[in-house]
Amino acid sequence: MKGDGDLEAALAAMLSDPGCDAVFEVLHEYVDEQLCGGDPALSNPGVAAHLLSCPACREDYLGLLEAAEKFGDARPGTAPE
Amino acid sequence: MTGAPGSLAHTVGLDAISAAWVDGLRASGNAHEDCVATLHAVLLRVARHEVARRAGSLQLRGPELEDVAQQATDDALMAIRAKVAGFRGESRFTTWAFKFVMFEVSTKMGRHFWRERRATWDDEAWEQLPALVDSPETHGEQRELFAALRRAIDHDLTSLQRRVFVAIALNEVPMDAFARELGVSRNAVYKTLFDARRKLRVSLLAAGYARPYSMSGT
Repeated sequence: MKGDGDLEAALAAMLSDPGCDAVFEVLHEYVDEQLCGGDPALSNPGVAAHLLSCPACREDYLGLLEAAEKFGDARPGTAPE
Repeated sequence: MTGAPGSLAHTVGLDAISAAWVDGLRASGNAHEDCVATLHAVLLRVARHEVARRAGSLQLRGPELEDVAQQATDDALMAIRAKVAGFRGESRFTTWAFKFVMFEVSTKMGRHFWRERRATWDDEAWEQLPALVDSPETHGEQRELFAALRRAIDHDLTSLQRRVFVAIALNEVPMDAFARELGVSRNAVYKTLFDARRKLRVSLLAAGYARPYSMSGT
């Protein structure tokens, strides 16, 4: 922690935050909505609030977003190279 | 979107590719085995990509990364097979399935965190705040703010809240690593962190530090 911005992040705690378990339940929907060009932060502000405050879930979200974009078209019967 | 021609009744409503995955996982014989083998290969590719993406934060080497990726893939596949009956097509099947890989990678990498850091991070973290207060780069009101924060951490938090806040918010210990250390879930750690943050915000507001640390979202 080095300054005001870091402190603001360190103290982030919004009442609309549903917590890790609830976010995990809908994270795939959130990511696909984003990949389809939508704005899931508008339709699900609680999840957006949590992703700002929880470093672990934010890392999962960033990884899932990248993986779904890169490997999401995989289909059965076609093993990846 | 509709399911693939010939898909089973429970996959009606899914996109064609998602329906094919679900049908394959719920089939029997060779069709099932082929689907599981392909899914494992896809998940392993995703896991390898993810551990590589996160590797820098934990300083893991090649064999350790591969070990994490293999274990995460196996456990994610087990979870997917157990939960596929509950998949309702809210997203593509692959996005839903990859979510379990992310969770397993987080959990496995949390275990590795402590292998390199068995040190007394609590003490190290406590040393950060006085250093910050006394830093030449910290001036005037900011210095007073950090001093107020330190007082609030000392006096207003419970022992567990203090430990969680210092480790995660100040010392950037991964939440999954800390959850493993405490023997609780990530969600339980986050709830404690959330309560600590709110207490500290109230304390700082009461001490006159309302800006920019307003209680957004209240």
